[in-house]
Amino acid sequence: MLSRRRTFTLFVVLCLGHILLISAQVQSGQGRSVLHASAFGAVAAVQGGSAAVTRGAGGIWSHYFALVGVSRENEGLRARVLSLEGELQAERARTAETAALEEALSLKRSVIAPTLAARVIAGSPVPGTMTVTIDRGTSDGVTMNMAVISGSGVVGRIIGPITSHAAQVQLLIGRSANTGAMVEKTGDAGLAAGGFADGMLRFELLSSAATLAKGDRIVTSGQDGIYPRGFVIGQVNEIIGAGKAREIAIAPAVNFSHIDVVLVVLSRPAAEPAATPTPTPPAKGAGR
Amino acid sequence: MKTAVVVAIVLGSVLLQALLARFAIGGRLAFDLVLVGVVFVALQSGPVAGMLAGTIGGVLLDLTAGGLVGIGGLLKTIVGFGAGVMGTRLVVAKPYARALIVAAATVLHGFLSMALQAAIDKWPGLDWAAMLSETGFNTLAAYIAFAAIEGVPGALSRGRGRQRTAFSRRQW
Repeated sequence: MLSRRRTFTLFVVLCLGHILLISAQVQSGQGRSVLHASAFGAVAAVQGGSAAVTRGAGGIWSHYFALVGVSRENEGLRARVLSLEGELQAERARTAETAALEEALSLKRSVIAPTLAARVIAGSPVPGTMTVTIDRGTSDGVTMNMAVISGSGVVGRIIGPITSHAAQVQLLIGRSANTGAMVEKTGDAGLAAGGFADGMLRFELLSSAATLAKGDRIVTSGQDGIYPRGFVIGQVNEIIGAGKAREIAIAPAVNFSHIDVVLVVLSRPAAEPAATPTPTPPAKGAGR
Repeated sequence: MKTAVVVAIVLGSVLLQALLARFAIGGRLAFDLVLVGVVFVALQSGPVAGMLAGTIGGVLLDLTAGGLVGIGGLLKTIVGFGAGVMGTRLVVAKPYARALIVAAATVLHGFLSMALQAAIDKWPGLDWAAMLSETGFNTLAAYIAFAAIEGVPGALSRGRGRQRTAFSRRQW
């Protein structure tokens, strides 16, 4: 049993040790060591296993027991597939027309970014930290700062640590998460910043002369070199104040509480080729 | 409490937290089972064990989370020490009293975390819903854990007593 004075001394020493550790990382900007990556890799493997078990148990239930109403759902889905096929035909026609116009005007051809489908296997063990772990890593071609999207919009970007079969994604609503953004209808550009307690994003660095209204769609501008241009971020939810003091809240398009499958955009705007003779074929699971 | 038991509790709570983190994506549902483990150790064994458990648990959680290593360690060391001191000064024998200490520790941990984030980066803003959710879940988890730990040895000894009585009857 330590004396009260020794206990307090140990407490102070431990606290100072932690503060020094944090300061060293904040100053150097590097918090990811081999130990860090190993710990993340080990936990990601366990989390992947548990997610697979949970999914398996859920699958047994949904595939064998909870089949009530499946035929009705099938009919609905068939109708939806037909409608989507029609939409796809229209989009294909439009894409061909755009490509022809681009060629006629000698413009750079629009590149469809290749994507890779990934499953979310875990959230962050630290409450309040807006990160998730996906089951794709360096062996699938995933690298730092790749954009991650879902069917409804931008999810976030890959941050370290990345192991061979797991990577961490910083959600767009996370602390210090930013993305180049613009108002879709006017093209006025700014920055969508996360890290707010209400779960909304804030539209920052937008010209005070820019006009926008509640409900306007905000998309990525592609100027940050991470997120390709034109992906949906969300829509304007609230505008408080006016002029330079104007605060614009953006409701994210993605419901971050329910993300299961995401798409990793394998190329970054800066890394995209200047011109390609043929459009890049969409990768597996490419949604756009 | 033996060192091995303390380490096992901390490692177990880190593993459980990592496994259940899937249900806390998006931040609306929050819980911190490592904090519950640290407070449990602190109340059982005092401030020294509490702060050491906080250091180990916090650093391990930081390593698995991918952020700055040391933030969780510092916060949980302070909370572990505080809970240990409280445990030695106040009578906290009943599960509900211990669960209340966990609730207070969660709130303290939340505010300290915000202050530290403000010092390092920017003021994150207070999300009452997330804090209430975390406090509620932690308190409930702590109450269940404390009640189980208090109840299991008694139930086991009662079971053993019943077996012995039955055996005695058969003999006589």
